Amino acid sequence: MTVAKIDLEKLQEEAMALDKPEPILVTYWKRLRRHTLAVVSLFTLIAIVLGVIFGPIIMNQMTYFNVQKGEYVNYGRDIQDLASQNASPSAEHWLGTDELGRDVLYRLLIAGRLSLTISFAVVLMRETFGTFLGSVSGYYGGKTDTFIQRLTEFIIVLPSLPILLTLASITREIRIPIIPAEWTQAVIIIVILSALGWTGSCRLSRAMVLSLRNQEFTEASRALGMSNLQIIIRHMIPNTLAPIIVSATLGLGGVILVESALSFLGFGINPPVATWGNMLQDVQTDMLTAPWKAFFPGFFILTSVLAFNYLGDGLRDALDPRLKL
Amino acid sequence: MTNYLIRRAFQMIIVVLVSTIFIFLILLAQPGGPLAGIGRTTGDQKTRLSSEDILRIEQTLGLNRPFYLQYLTWAGGEDWVDELGNLLGNPGDKAKMGATGTWTGFQTPTCQEAGGTNVGADTSVVSYPCQRGILRFDFGESWSISKGQQVIDIISSRMAPTLRLLITVTVLSLVIAIPLGIISAVRQYSALDYTVTTFSFFGISMPVFWFGIMLIILFGHYFRTWGLPFFPSGGTQAVRIINGSIQDFLGVEKGSAADIAVHLFLPTMMLTLVYLAGWARFMRSSMLEVLRQDYVRTARAKGLRERAVIFKHAARNALIPLITIVVFQIPDIFSGAVLTETVFSYPGMGRLFIQALSSNDWPIVMAFLYINAILVVIATLVGDVLYTIVDPRIRFE
Repeated sequence: MTVAKIDLEKLQEEAMALDKPEPILVTYWKRLRRHTLAVVSLFTLIAIVLGVIFGPIIMNQMTYFNVQKGEYVNYGRDIQDLASQNASPSAEHWLGTDELGRDVLYRLLIAGRLSLTISFAVVLMRETFGTFLGSVSGYYGGKTDTFIQRLTEFIIVLPSLPILLTLASITREIRIPIIPAEWTQAVIIIVILSALGWTGSCRLSRAMVLSLRNQEFTEASRALGMSNLQIIIRHMIPNTLAPIIVSATLGLGGVILVESALSFLGFGINPPVATWGNMLQDVQTDMLTAPWKAFFPGFFILTSVLAFNYLGDGLRDALDPRLKL
Repeated sequence: MTNYLIRRAFQMIIVVLVSTIFIFLILLAQPGGPLAGIGRTTGDQKTRLSSEDILRIEQTLGLNRPFYLQYLTWAGGEDWVDELGNLLGNPGDKAKMGATGTWTGFQTPTCQEAGGTNVGADTSVVSYPCQRGILRFDFGESWSISKGQQVIDIISSRMAPTLRLLITVTVLSLVIAIPLGIISAVRQYSALDYTVTTFSFFGISMPVFWFGIMLIILFGHYFRTWGLPFFPSGGTQAVRIINGSIQDFLGVEKGSAADIAVHLFLPTMMLTLVYLAGWARFMRSSMLEVLRQDYVRTARAKGLRERAVIFKHAARNALIPLITIVVFQIPDIFSGAVLTETVFSYPGMGRLFIQALSSNDWPIVMAFLYINAILVVIATLVGDVLYTIVDPRIRFE
């Protein structure tokens, strides 16, 4: 949306000075750098990711004075302090404490791990699946194409939030025996969100492949004896990557929003496991006395989603300026 | 066009039928099914149910029926079951068919008493003795939210607040988004354009429920502590007017239309942000696209005033793609703003759906999904037909 100014003369000078074509990644980076907000977003995201990975590790080593226990204890996700419930931000609890006296900052960072992991996992799964299905659909055409396209249309037309809520509600009592109970909900949410979300990348890659499959290099690889599957994997999919990367980046933000909404409504990941969404689940009872509890989780969601969206926007301009998404 | 409409009507019926199968399968996969309670009581010596009791319960819930018949009666009702059984010679497990040994045993006891038909039943006192199936909009009784009440009555009682909210939001968003998108596209790269695009980026990145909570904290709580007229944070009307509230400030009576409007204020603000952001962004890019077209250049070249070019030639065409998006709003209006209604404890459809899901009230959930499926199908058709009206270039063979 926001468009960076292009200094044509400088670009020409740079191009004249080079005798070798620069690597494509350098070109992309140079183009992305023009989009100031995208670069800011990229660094914000790196900071958030580093924060949620290393923050809890560092805080595990630090201690604070737990009033209820009357001694110094390490920070932890489920460590309660019933003597200082809903305490306002202080030197010991930078972002205050919640209704059980747990440190909000620590829970936020741990929650960020889960929210971001879910988001990355969902996007990875659905983009892989969608791209593959879309490429197959576009490459083979005919009945395969018709079938996959009808399926896609059917899923697109489903009212997404009611269906998501219904599915999440049906599966809430499922327990997978091998993995810890805490992870089961996350796995189920990932599966549900991936199963309903692959249509976008499927359509995108199908459209790309439709234009690619009749080009000379495809014919050449067929003449050289490559199998259809090889052509799809070696030639079709790599060529569809640019728009897929853009839509994946934009999708990361979307998944965070949907997951937090599900968790907020109580159909996603339930306490004591923390996600940004479920930290907002019960704030309505005492949000007027402890507004920081309500403010910070949403602020983290907003910041990261905004950053993903701006980064996606910048990447679109950098990778493929003609792309409409 | 007539041919096309007839073909589409058939397609619509098929899609709705397929969706009923899906909804029925969801019913089978639900946790805490109807027999969960029976399993618990059979263990106890005193309260153990006799086999007749169990059969009666099974008959009431239709669980003694074969699988395909369960679906058919759920979708199409049960008043035809005995006739069909006689026609087919009553095949099946005699024990499951109860005392009669005919397909009459597959009907619920109330239906059997009424002679297996709704004809002549006094429907003004009680509901129909025989279930009529969801295809005839009989969704049965609620299981837990308000036990024994007809689902269709519960849904219609929740309809008005949701319609009020969603129609206000839709109209308001359109009225603001369209001019905003147009101006922003016409003055591309102006300060206003940057403001609009930044605003819409924030809008689409915002977790709506959090925004609602922030609104409550600001307008409901801080306004009160600052001594400003504060807004109600939930419900549809005031139980009593609190001193210093906005109703008190404006002299609004409780339960009046103005009181309802005041309660709509914050939910509307929250939802409008979402729709406004999306639609303004969409309108802007659609308008930018149109402004590059040759006919816009022609209009300018033949000396039309800029105002006429933009509003008569460009904006009209830029509105066409927006139609699909707005029409797809119809099912949304029914399913209500699930998140908004939850945040503001607003007694509408969306909150009903959440309550039904969390208390395992599956008849309501299924009724909800079924009506939603019908609305989605209708919205698709309405969108396509509207398209041909506003853009005569699109033709259906």
